Amino acid sequence: MEPVNPVRNSDKVLDQNQRMGLSNGVNPYYPVPTKIKKIIPETSNITTFILEGMPIKFEAGQFAELTVPGVGEAPFTPSSSPYAKDMEFTIMQVGRVTTALFNLKQGDIVGVRGPFGKPYPLKDFKGKEIYIVGGGVGFAPLRSLFLALLHNIKDYKNIYIRYGARTPDDIVYRRLIPDWQKINGVDIVLTVDVGDESWKDTVGVVTVLLDKIPVNVKTSPTIACGPPIMLKFVTRRLVEAGFTHSNIYLSMESNMSCGFGKCNHCRLGEIYVCKDGPVLTWEDVKDIEEPFI
Amino acid sequence: MKLYLLPSDNILRFITRLAENGSVFYPVFEDDKVHLNKFDKDKKFEPNFEKIRTVETTKHFLFPSRDVVAKFPKDVQKKTERQYLVGIKNCDLRGIDVYDRVFLNWEPVDFSYKQRRENTIIISADCPEPEDCCFCNLVGLNPFCESICDINFTQVSSGLLFEAITKKGDEIINKMQDLFTGASKEVQQQRDKIRKDAINKLKKINKKSFKKDLPKRVEKADKQKIHDARKDCVECHACLHVCPTCYCFLLSDYKKGKNIERVRTWDACYYAAYARVGGGANPRSKLDERFWNRFQCKFNYFNGYEGIYACSGCGRCYRGCSGKIDIREILWNL
Repeated sequence: MEPVNPVRNSDKVLDQNQRMGLSNGVNPYYPVPTKIKKIIPETSNITTFILEGMPIKFEAGQFAELTVPGVGEAPFTPSSSPYAKDMEFTIMQVGRVTTALFNLKQGDIVGVRGPFGKPYPLKDFKGKEIYIVGGGVGFAPLRSLFLALLHNIKDYKNIYIRYGARTPDDIVYRRLIPDWQKINGVDIVLTVDVGDESWKDTVGVVTVLLDKIPVNVKTSPTIACGPPIMLKFVTRRLVEAGFTHSNIYLSMESNMSCGFGKCNHCRLGEIYVCKDGPVLTWEDVKDIEEPFI
Repeated sequence: MKLYLLPSDNILRFITRLAENGSVFYPVFEDDKVHLNKFDKDKKFEPNFEKIRTVETTKHFLFPSRDVVAKFPKDVQKKTERQYLVGIKNCDLRGIDVYDRVFLNWEPVDFSYKQRRENTIIISADCPEPEDCCFCNLVGLNPFCESICDINFTQVSSGLLFEAITKKGDEIINKMQDLFTGASKEVQQQRDKIRKDAINKLKKINKKSFKKDLPKRVEKADKQKIHDARKDCVECHACLHVCPTCYCFLLSDYKKGKNIERVRTWDACYYAAYARVGGGANPRSKLDERFWNRFQCKFNYFNGYEGIYACSGCGRCYRGCSGKIDIREILWNL
């Protein structure tokens, strides 16, 4: 991934947006109405919403603004594969929009606007070992990445996932993980902050899984997503382990309104998280005083 | 570009003819302030083109404080009407320059802005009487306009000396050629003198320039200096709402019958909740950080993106400030 160069008038930026389909005469503020096909609760406060069809095309890593009609919108990265038939979002109930979303039922209409931001540079990952670190609901965008990698699994050497949740009941996609663990070339290890009687795996925050890193840190990309406090410590550990700074991909959290670099809400220094991110490398953000809010 | 003289007797005729095709707004001096009023042919016409920029910024006309930008589930784009902004000063054109870059040049194009911009004819005026709050010369501007507008004029003793800047402006003058006369050398010399005098007045008002490495100085500003600079700030946010270059906005949805309207309203980075995320974390929870974000945005980040300051030097922030914080003093002190 090339370093972020927030020069607005460059051809590079225009190309990127043309690819995003934003120059095709569509009103960028208009969300595409889409029906909720299915609702799957994942944990006590995290739910997957499966939408009917693919209202917008996206690549893994890009995000969308999800509208709850009459309430407002909030940014989410899809959790489904870009190659899937239906679009999915796995969302934690946190604020006003997500609370309204959690009150919706199957068959209700939501709006989807996007895609926004840059995708993961999957072509740069080819032939390499991929090291994915997630925490809590941060598994949602990582699942989209993981499924996109699985789509062309032969292109990559191995995929490692290290994931942490508070308790066994807080593990997102617990229903899917056993099947993923059976896939050749996929290595998934889980940890929980607090275990219970049924829990036989590691106990501790996710960084305990990073003591032994089984990949070539000089060449492998590592992708992390989770709460800011987790990202802070995971990044520190990944840097210590010797990963190249431009190979550490971080999902940055910020307040967003427009999604395409005009409203200014998401700006982190001179970087528009919505337009230059939402995935940025450690190289991009390491000089910012406190990148993890 | 060719110059034309609109004799004083023809100014009202010119404005009246413009008003046949749309709304005309022009500066009027009342209650000690200059306002941008709508022309009404049945009311007294007493324009004032010599005083500084109006209290109202041009952003109201292109990027209104409340604007419906989309409808849901079916999107209907409303049409905007033609408007003529007459007597606008160069500081306000910096605002339009910033908006043009953000809403038109940066992809995706903002349709709402584009429609208004295309339907707006800007007939700017020289600014011969800068006041104590003015500092356009410090942000790379002159007190007269040579771009962004469609037509610019200078008030001279015998009328208004017009210069077409764009093709649109040229067409307007051509259509009303009967109202104009040729510009003599004498009036052109008058214009030169008026402009030179205005520049000199600005130099007297602002004796120091900003340092060449101002963006770096803003970026690396000392925390104590920032704290001292903001100590009189009472968080009224006036400086941001009256600013002709501030472009922050927020989208919110409202029910209207069976439909939803997506409304874009001005926002301001001084609001404590401006950057707060759903979970409650806030990257700029302290006022010092929010206060300095404004300086970073205008003099560092935007300069990095576009090579100009997102500041017009109009001085509205200083005039509107409850604590009388002078942005110039802060920048000079860096």
